Amino acid sequence: MYTGPLRALIDELGRLPGIGPKSAQRIAFHILKVPTEDAHRLSDAIVVVKERTTLCEQCFNVAEGGAWCAICSDDQRDGEVICVVEDPRDIVAVERTNQFHGRYHVLGGALNPLEGIGPDQLKVRELLARIDAGQIREAIVCTNPNLEGEATAMYVARLLTPLGVIVSRLASGLPVGGDLEYADELTLGRALEGRRRIEV
Amino acid sequence: MELVNFRIFGAGLFSPEAEGTTVVTGPNGTGKTSVLEALAYLGTGRSFRGAPRESMVRTGEDRAIIRAELDNNDNPTLVEAEIVPAGRSRTQVNRKVVQGRKELSTATPCTIFSPEDLVIISGGPRGRRDLLDDTLGFLDPEGARAADVVERIQRQRAALLRQSGGKVTADVVSTLDVWDHRLAASGMTLVKARERLVRDLVEFVGPAYGRLAGSEGRALVGQHYVRSWDDDLLTALQAHRSDDLRRGVNTVGPHRDDMLLEIEGREARTHASQGEQRCLALALRIGVHQLVLSRTSVIPTLLLDDVFSELDPARSRALVAELPPGQSILTTAVPLPEGISVAHIIPIGQLVRAS
Ligand SMILES: [Zn+2]
Repeated sequence: MYTGPLRALIDELGRLPGIGPKSAQRIAFHILKVPTEDAHRLSDAIVVVKERTTLCEQCFNVAEGGAWCAICSDDQRDGEVICVVEDPRDIVAVERTNQFHGRYHVLGGALNPLEGIGPDQLKVRELLARIDAGQIREAIVCTNPNLEGEATAMYVARLLTPLGVIVSRLASGLPVGGDLEYADELTLGRALEGRRRIEV
Repeated sequence: MELVNFRIFGAGLFSPEAEGTTVVTGPNGTGKTSVLEALAYLGTGRSFRGAPRESMVRTGEDRAIIRAELDNNDNPTLVEAEIVPAGRSRTQVNRKVVQGRKELSTATPCTIFSPEDLVIISGGPRGRRDLLDDTLGFLDPEGARAADVVERIQRQRAALLRQSGGKVTADVVSTLDVWDHRLAASGMTLVKARERLVRDLVEFVGPAYGRLAGSEGRALVGQHYVRSWDDDLLTALQAHRSDDLRRGVNTVGPHRDDMLLEIEGREARTHASQGEQRCLALALRIGVHQLVLSRTSVIPTLLLDDVFSELDPARSRALVAELPPGQSILTTAVPLPEGISVAHIIPIGQLVRAS
């Protein structure tokens, strides 16, 4: 249907998560219409985020200009407690509750053999290395409240408990099957407060 | 209900009466059954004919859409299903993606009667398990959720077994341990829910069979849930693990269980005549329908696909007498038996609009 640069743009947009062919077309035509400087701001933002933003070498959160993220670099945070999450976006959700003052570890997903994700595809070895380094006393597993998230929580608990770490899981009350990032801060805060040790 | 690229329909619109019987008429092969199949798909997420997804999509198209506006106890409900053979099919209720069978059956409650029901009695255990699990969607939210979860775990576990290629690494063992624990927990919830359901159903199925077969007395029909493993599910999973790894499939679990059906102490699958099997299949569907009516405020729409052509006049009358009032939609290739008051007749040709 479309050729050249327009086709290329539609194809690239269509590769983004949550954007189907129709939305891709709509966005592409919108971009065609906007003033040139608006389009440049968008493309600059994409380039800059790729150049200046990396993943934290310790926890795999988003880091801006440095090996470590802002949370890992902050001496005020409790180094003995970590919150294990699937995705950097989940850190934002937990931070909003103001109830957690430790550090994080981003696994980069959940166990999901159907999508080819096993322990090797997650930052599990890196988590073990952090435990080996000694400081961590408690791990709160805040994976999503769905089947894959629950399985991952149990997997982490079975891995860390023998190493002397207390592993706990958010209290129930989060909508089952949902995503952590959509949970409101009150609900998530209560779930954090009421966390329970995972039986392994 | 609107159909887009569903089977032979490029575009079609179907408006049955809200109360009473709507009859869809037309020659064979013009899509009468497809109309019922589409409605039943909304309620169960699959074809009652056992057809694969791709056969429900019109030739040359990449997806089919079924869209229905329903009025459940004065709750206007919009149900939309997208059937994509090559991708992810999904159903939305009031624009929210459906997570499991409870939401499907709540949004589009229906009871289907079709000549294919014979397979529930004469075929493999899958049809009997599906009947039970679909019914849990109406009656037992916890059991229905367990059925969804077990299905999902089985797929995850099968993927893991295949990926391992029979190699037992530490990662494979530790992740299998986790899936097995989840499967054992949800599996036992499911199995207990199915066992309760079978006990409840026999109260309705036995008498219905007696009335349909003209032989009173419910002692005729036996119904037993049969687990496919002994003792504890977790122990069984662990005992069969090396087998599972070698073959790359889930060999133990609720997905291998069965419901044993007997007529006068004989197994119906192997020892009943086809007439008895047909009668028992009808009695099962009636039993489910009556159990749902007796336990909930839900009144499933009755979908009858050409059932009277398989029944003699006496049984046809007996079936009509069993069916409670409410909305029903039926297709037929033979004259309808007495006792059915038809509210509306829709010739199939009226459904097909120019694409
Ligand atoms: Zn960090």
